[in-house]
Amino acid sequence: MGRKMDIFTIGLIGAVVVVALILVGLYFSYYNRIRVYENQIDEAWSQIDVQLKKRYDLIPNLVETVKGYATHEREIFEKVAMARAGMISGTPQERMEASNMLTSTLRQLFAVAEAYPQLKANENFKLLQEQLQGIEDKIAYARQYFNTSVLNFNNLITTVPGVWFAGGRGKREFIAIPEGERQAPKVQF
Amino acid sequence: MEQRRTFFEEQRRNGRDSILLAIVVSLVLFGLVYTFAYIFAPQDLIIVLPISAVLIIIYTWASYQYGDQIVIAATGARLAEGDEYIYLNNVSEGLSLAAGMPMPKIYVIDSPEINAFATGKDPEHSSIAVTTGALQKLNRAELEGVVAHEMSHIRNRDIQFMTYVTVLVGLVSILSYIIRRWSWVGGSRRRSRDRGSGSFEGAVIIFGLILAIVAPIAVALVQYAISRRREYMADASGVELTRFPEGLASALEKIKNSNQGKMKVDEAVSPLFISDPNHSALDAFFATHPPIEDRIKRLRQM
Repeated sequence: MGRKMDIFTIGLIGAVVVVALILVGLYFSYYNRIRVYENQIDEAWSQIDVQLKKRYDLIPNLVETVKGYATHEREIFEKVAMARAGMISGTPQERMEASNMLTSTLRQLFAVAEAYPQLKANENFKLLQEQLQGIEDKIAYARQYFNTSVLNFNNLITTVPGVWFAGGRGKREFIAIPEGERQAPKVQF
Repeated sequence: MEQRRTFFEEQRRNGRDSILLAIVVSLVLFGLVYTFAYIFAPQDLIIVLPISAVLIIIYTWASYQYGDQIVIAATGARLAEGDEYIYLNNVSEGLSLAAGMPMPKIYVIDSPEINAFATGKDPEHSSIAVTTGALQKLNRAELEGVVAHEMSHIRNRDIQFMTYVTVLVGLVSILSYIIRRWSWVGGSRRRSRDRGSGSFEGAVIIFGLILAIVAPIAVALVQYAISRRREYMADASGVELTRFPEGLASALEKIKNSNQGKMKVDEAVSPLFISDPNHSALDAFFATHPPIEDRIKRLRQM
């Protein structure tokens, strides 16, 4: 009887140990995956941040160049300056909103530039235009990567078994895509 | 998530393929070198063979390590630097941000044709080359489609395998060519020196000759079969980056309509390109790329 109990007890202990090991293994694996995704989201945001700063630094150059030719467009310069100021501080969400505002005011600025053939032919202006267009695309692409990372993270921490190991982490916010950006705007004269 | 899993599968498959290929090609190379030595210097076989075995191992390793530089040099690509190429660099940097991987080195090739290729060891050491023709003839969305396709070759780890194949196959074809070309010279010289030294010698030479003729064809067939599947894969995952299938579809259409297939690049390098740089009569059998119409159709159905 005693011997049988022993075998039963050993079996039970064994089973408990195996289950515990599996749980610990799962915990490590999911903990690491969650951290990897968290880091990926941070990294994605810092890529956006880099582009926002580059954009912030380029704007004065652009405005100076345009001012040289289009002296009477005060209103648009003010709008650009306002949007630019909003990009440097605040929460990521606020900064992205400021950046989106800048995108649309820059479009107006470039539309205005269409009326000045000399400005359009200026090499420096063309280069700035390409750089800003490039940055705009890069922000869009970096945001796409950010949102994919957030989606992966949210999927992981809201589904079983990831949700058991999430340690109370909440879902991360996506960066909203501005309405006008889905289709390329057409400027016609 | 589904897409992601296929990436990992693709990466694993590429790793496995590379090892398999390295072994097969090394054996073929050794066979060729053996014949080569047998024809030209039969008395020195005992010295030649160990040395060549070591050289083959070094070559195999070097083509893994430096294959991208060999390929870049073979196509005459130069670094895309300066304001002239800011547009290309911007497009590429944007797509590498979307892929969440480091920016590859960007090269340009002087050619009026629309073409591009990617090469490298891994995403950290990778390069993309685009022709000047592509820069002139494609609009931004089309260029993005093409660069995203190349970026996907990097992300799927195709480049490592493809570059590796290219460099190894290059050597096999060179050696085969030399043997085919010179075997009768060496053979006749030897025959006059030691007449009738048995049938073994004849068998080796015949085997070597067959190898020299068949090896390049066999390796090329494998190379072509593999590269076709990869092209569809890269088209699909490139679109995942740009979210705009029409960009690549319209670029391929321009390639179809305007490319002459007369780029001056070596046959061995051609599977790396997005569109076959030289057309030939053997296209139906040896097409390194799936029919362009079929690729366009698939893209438009996405």
